Amino acid sequence: MTRDTEREDPSRINLDDITCPTREQRANGINAFKGKASELVEQARSGELRNCERDFQQNSGCILNFYLTVRVATIRDAVMIVHAPVGCSAPAALYREVFRRLWTSMNRAADFDFHWLTTNIGERDVIYGAADKLRYAIEEAVRRHSPQAVFILTSCTSGIIGEDVEGVVAELQPGIEATLVPIHCEGIRSRIIQTGYDAFWHGILKYLVKPPRRRQKDLVNVASMLSYTWQDRAEITRILGKIGLRPNFVPEFARVSDFESLSEAALTAPVCPTYTDYLSRGLEQEYGVPYFLFPSPIGIANTDEWLRTIGRMLGLEARVEEVIREERAHWVPKMDAIRAGFEKVKAGNGGDFRIMGSLGQGRLVTQTPFFQELGVSTPVALCQDFDNLLLDDIENLLKRVGDFDIVVNTFQAAEVAHTARYYNPDMILSCPFQGSAYKREKGMTRIHALRGDGRKWSAQAGYAGAVACGSFLLQATRNYSFQNTMMEKTGDPYKPWWYEQPDPTYFHRKAEASGS
Amino acid sequence: MKLTLVKGQEGRPPAKTYPEVAESPRFTCALGGAYAAALAVYGAVPILHSGSGCGMANAQGLTYASGLNSGGPQGTTVTPCSGLIEEHVVFGGEDKLRRLIDSTLRLMKGDLFVVISGCVPALIGDDVDSVVAEFRDRAPVIHVKTSGFVGNGFLGYNLFLDAVIDGLLQPRPVERRLVNLLGIVPNQNIFWKGELRTLKALLEGIGAKVNTVFSDFGSLGSLERIPAASLNLVFHPWAGLEAARKLEERFGTPFEALDFVPVGPRDTSEFLRLVARRLKLKSGKVEGFIAEEERYVYRFMEYLSEMFMIAMPHSFLGVVADSRTAISLIRYAANELGWNPELAVVTDDPPEWAREGIARRLAEGLQGPSVPRVLFQYDSHLIRQELRAQPLQVIFASSLEKYIAKTENEAHHLSVSYPTYDRLIVDRSYAGYRGGIAIMEDISHNFAGPS
Repeated sequence: MTRDTEREDPSRINLDDITCPTREQRANGINAFKGKASELVEQARSGELRNCERDFQQNSGCILNFYLTVRVATIRDAVMIVHAPVGCSAPAALYREVFRRLWTSMNRAADFDFHWLTTNIGERDVIYGAADKLRYAIEEAVRRHSPQAVFILTSCTSGIIGEDVEGVVAELQPGIEATLVPIHCEGIRSRIIQTGYDAFWHGILKYLVKPPRRRQKDLVNVASMLSYTWQDRAEITRILGKIGLRPNFVPEFARVSDFESLSEAALTAPVCPTYTDYLSRGLEQEYGVPYFLFPSPIGIANTDEWLRTIGRMLGLEARVEEVIREERAHWVPKMDAIRAGFEKVKAGNGGDFRIMGSLGQGRLVTQTPFFQELGVSTPVALCQDFDNLLLDDIENLLKRVGDFDIVVNTFQAAEVAHTARYYNPDMILSCPFQGSAYKREKGMTRIHALRGDGRKWSAQAGYAGAVACGSFLLQATRNYSFQNTMMEKTGDPYKPWWYEQPDPTYFHRKAEASGS
Repeated sequence: MKLTLVKGQEGRPPAKTYPEVAESPRFTCALGGAYAAALAVYGAVPILHSGSGCGMANAQGLTYASGLNSGGPQGTTVTPCSGLIEEHVVFGGEDKLRRLIDSTLRLMKGDLFVVISGCVPALIGDDVDSVVAEFRDRAPVIHVKTSGFVGNGFLGYNLFLDAVIDGLLQPRPVERRLVNLLGIVPNQNIFWKGELRTLKALLEGIGAKVNTVFSDFGSLGSLERIPAASLNLVFHPWAGLEAARKLEERFGTPFEALDFVPVGPRDTSEFLRLVARRLKLKSGKVEGFIAEEERYVYRFMEYLSEMFMIAMPHSFLGVVADSRTAISLIRYAANELGWNPELAVVTDDPPEWAREGIARRLAEGLQGPSVPRVLFQYDSHLIRQELRAQPLQVIFASSLEKYIAKTENEAHHLSVSYPTYDRLIVDRSYAGYRGGIAIMEDISHNFAGPS
């Protein structure tokens, strides 16, 4: 598991360690907060923020399954091994089918033939150890598929029974040409699922990225989110292409060589800062690849600024300004029409339209200004996680949009339901798999689609995505009969008592919180 | 280009093999199976004593993977979970669980609370039974002692029933003609809701009373009513069978091991007659019901016959499914459609004692010369190789085979088994008289025409 080291520079990445520190250790990540965003920043600055233990807690994903299994499985010429009991990799069972719905005519590579294995740890293994099975799995992966890399994902069980994954890797690697990449994503390591992203990037940086053979001046690393659809990739490719740059998308649908050449890129650009942070810092530290973390290309203004930042860093300012002019001429009138649509909605709604989004902190800093572009207000943001990596950006956000309420709650469903009831926004934007959050008197829709969705309708990134997403949200205001009917005809899982409590943090125990 | 080989081992088989190391197996873990069973009891609230990702892994990897289903009102992020991390591994998770059960009883509606323990408490030795016992006077709380490494999702169903029998059931006066439906495994059998509903309607049609146990509105009462049955029906070669034996031992309820759900009129009528004999139902009513149902279904079969004879007559059939789904479909295909079952890949990893019986069920009582080759295999890579080696025109399988069937076998494909990510299945099923027609309705989109 993690090595608990005191470092002089806590942001320095130590690739001699077998894995990353947790987000709690690295960036004082927390799982709970309720208050003003300004207070959150203040408390983060003064080091007062603490993780909390919840007496009532609900399913929220772990660092393995939010969602490393379903992401690593899509690396095209690699094999993923999940060193775990059989259920830990069950979400990856979609690997053969879902992404084939993206057509090859949409520039999808033909070789979408992914492979993964579970070591299927059983009762015998937890007593005698499962190193032999892991060895066999690695060799079987190589025999079957001749991959360029084999990723080994650990689990709570492999961690607790003390599997020596590094030992197995060190023993086998000399005889295997595929690169073995252990990822320490034991679910018990951290309350903050973003630790899983860091653990993944740690493995990538430590084992897979090669020293640059040459600098590729036109290559921009883009670590895409699970919630970036195929059209988002197409849009990022398009706008980068207009300034003569190419994206190097990882990890989804990448080839192993795309990871190896991360060091050769001119720049690492964010589409989600909290997700990209560890990789970006690591590539700069080890190979001098510059990076920025804010903003992401969500909304017109953020996309302008995203391009401008790239332009500044790569000396392409003039071309970027030309592109922004062209793009604005095409897209801004469409955004104006959407804003006019929202003005009508607001006029029929007492002059305001209030949206509450369930966001990661990365989306918090980029999506909130986008809501402002649409002309809707955001009285409260639900934030999955919070750490001090984006403090400056959140302070800047406060300057841009003013103060707002924020609830950090790892998407705890009862706390979300309580918050929704309390603020009663006109529209809730929720992640997939959020239980019965759709049952409302007012609006509710999804905040994003997922990777396998190829429809232009579901896009979010860049200029095309801003317009698509704006249209989508406007469309969501038209008819609430599904939400209303399901609210009326089916039950609520929580007792009325819960909604009578003044505070959704009712079951938090801050005093006894631990740091990890 | 780099060659990737195990150096010095080219072409040499490994010294020792571990068949359980597999590509995308066709089941979740026992915790997942127990979780799905708890969600399948209306009004029950599962409480996972586990790492924080176990529920979400099964929301994506079991409920959503079984026909794109939500977990219902207590599923996905609604399910209480202790979210164990390192400090609990060091200091124990019992206190966390105690607080979680207490808060759940205060916050969540429910008439049964099902604590399901996973890998972490099993490995660190939490005394979950003792913690659960503290709450017995506040609400019905039971404990399913399981983990991810103890076995697969079908076993998890068995463990759930075991916990119900031990933790909840009391002797009851036997209700004449009442049957319990066992062995239809929530989510691992993707048609479970529709099957329970269809079987209930059929059995009521011949004068039986039915406790579906899962899925109906009876909730806790459906579980408590289990000992009142005069007969238990087990629709699976091994899932639910141990429960039936235990119920016989404890409450004297006899059981009938049917091994499979009847699909199509022939097996359905035979099934109804068998149950009627066991329950001593009036044969006039039973035969009247059967005659009416058969008359209807065969008349309507005529409407699909042209499509059938153009698109998929006398097909070579491959089935990749859990044991009882494979038995159901191969029997229907061979005995009513005139298809030739060539390959049956059984994916639920049945215990050794059950395998011979499953192989016999898959081979006996079939019309035509074909007897399917039976493989017990859940490794998706090896299954793909088996399919490639076999000329097949129809493949009933999971959605893992969707594109393989199309591109590597040129076969019609229909997802009938876990995992199924390519169709929504709410209360659809292929059970009963109309099952064959439903199969044809669902598979025919692969082939419309020629005109």
